Amino acid sequence: MFDGAFRERVLNSWVEMRENLTRSVLQSLGVILGVASVLGGMSISDSMRKRSMELYVRMGGLDKLNVRQSAVVREGAPTALQMANLGLRTADAAEGEGMDTSAVSGISLRKDARARVRSPYADQEREIRGIGGDFLALDGYEVDQGRDFSAHDIDTAAPIAILGTEAVAVFFPNGDAVGRTLRIGDTQVQVVGVLKERVFRFRSSNGNMFRWRNRIIALPTTLVARRFEGDQYHRVDRMAFRIRNLDAMAKFTKGLSSLLKANHRQQVDFRLDDVGARVRKQQSQGNVYDVIFMLSGFLSLIGGGIVNVNIQMATLKERIREVGVKMAIGAPGREVFKEFMTEALLLTAVGSLAGLVIGVGFSKIITASIGVPLHIDPKSFVSAYALAAVFGFVFALFPAWKASRLSPMEALRYE
Amino acid sequence: MHPIIDTHGLTKTYGSNGAAVHALRGIDLTIERGEFVALIGPSGSGKSTLMAILGCLDKPTEGTYALDGERVEGLSGRELAQIRNDKIGFVFQQYNLLPKASVVRNVELPMLYAGVGRRERRQRAQELLERVGIPEKAKVLPAALSGGQRQRVAVARALANRPALLLADEPTGALDSKTGHEVLELFADLHRQGNTIIIVTHDLSIAAMAQRQVEIHDGLIKIEEAA
Repeated sequence: MFDGAFRERVLNSWVEMRENLTRSVLQSLGVILGVASVLGGMSISDSMRKRSMELYVRMGGLDKLNVRQSAVVREGAPTALQMANLGLRTADAAEGEGMDTSAVSGISLRKDARARVRSPYADQEREIRGIGGDFLALDGYEVDQGRDFSAHDIDTAAPIAILGTEAVAVFFPNGDAVGRTLRIGDTQVQVVGVLKERVFRFRSSNGNMFRWRNRIIALPTTLVARRFEGDQYHRVDRMAFRIRNLDAMAKFTKGLSSLLKANHRQQVDFRLDDVGARVRKQQSQGNVYDVIFMLSGFLSLIGGGIVNVNIQMATLKERIREVGVKMAIGAPGREVFKEFMTEALLLTAVGSLAGLVIGVGFSKIITASIGVPLHIDPKSFVSAYALAAVFGFVFALFPAWKASRLSPMEALRYE
Repeated sequence: MHPIIDTHGLTKTYGSNGAAVHALRGIDLTIERGEFVALIGPSGSGKSTLMAILGCLDKPTEGTYALDGERVEGLSGRELAQIRNDKIGFVFQQYNLLPKASVVRNVELPMLYAGVGRRERRQRAQELLERVGIPEKAKVLPAALSGGQRQRVAVARALANRPALLLADEPTGALDSKTGHEVLELFADLHRQGNTIIIVTHDLSIAAMAQRQVEIHDGLIKIEEAA
């Protein structure tokens, strides 16, 4: 295949293209712009998608199953079962982990309260957050100075706190919070750790989406339960399980759901939120934009294709004699068809490459102007290229067919 | 041994009924292997039409045509293309070389369509260029050649697949008399080597070089004479 006619056709097409450079550029302009616009469009949505993926990762990862308390609609007087339901508790988390210890690689507990927080420098009514398990890791926090709570701290409801950077700035404006004492409600707590500042700007011009996360004042859940939200059942507001394995996640979600229902007196007063599944679903809905970009690329490819057919038909007129000569010396119509197709497809291939380069340029300009780092999925390259190839092929068919149907006699005589 | 060309009652009619033009009105022609024939006649006589049919570029309206023993009047376009490739070598007045391909690639073209391998193509093309006397021009483009040299390339190309029949349509029409004469000498040489040649011309001095003249007039063979 590559030694004979095919090789010759490609070579001839290449010569033909180079000899008629202006015409070739004009012909491939539609393809170039079409590919560039498809790739440009797709790269914008790729970049946005990548950015939101980064956001979720920075929020503690996608491999999380969040469990929240949710209200149960009640009509009339509550039933005995409803009365007896204790809601989401620390025990639920422990039992959940116990279901499949190999799948669960981390648990986080959260119990919120409000309290008056005082230091020598400030006195404010603040949210305080009781945290347990691997809360910091699962929520994307990192310890900057000092230490995290130990399991022992949490078991014993140690009177200690970890602060976010904003909280440090408010309560200890000259820095150096570790080792100092805060008064939270009526309880003296010692600051044992300070968290790293968290910053995430979706676009470079946006505000910090994580600003409120730096306000955190974290205490052990047990301390909050004992001193602020008197609760002997160790209720929690939220728990989260980290499950690395996607298959295990589905199974675990199901198991946890029935476990919780059983523990909660048959009340479904909780909501399970598989973060990874939610994000994947959101992103597949984002594909609507891909379709729109694809469509605009379609339209420019169709426009380019029509221009291409016109130019091709016009050049066919110039080349009728050449076709006649080839036919006279024995080229069958099929061979002429193949020669014209090869030329058009080579043009499309080269034009598409140029389009990809220009498309990357487009994308760089656009993503720079909206302030999102550029990311182009390899799939986008492939689909932009494939789309152009399909259009190039379809629009090449008519002129090639026309050429192949010429009568050798008339073609030779054509002036 | 069958003749190279054997036609009976060839007619060619263009248009239909009212406006029909009868280009050929019944040609019976037999040409034996190794003959050198001049097809002469004034313009409009039908000699170009006859040449097109003999060259399998066109089909007759009626009549039979056997080329090298094979009936061709009912063949499909694809089969005719194969016959042109295999059995006929064309030489045109305007050379009709591909301007963007080098001389050697022009000569290779019929072999390419015949599916001859690359190495053999190159070798045979080079031999043919030697035979027509311009082996040193293999790599140049046709535009760099004189008219006589271009016609030599065209002859080399026509000979590429060792055709049964060489068909030349006014091969000297675009050349001055000196180079024209040289090209005719080339044809005479080829004839001596055993090729069957038909030259279409309106120039009687050229026709005189052939063994046999066939004059077409109004779509019929008017006079046939052998030298």
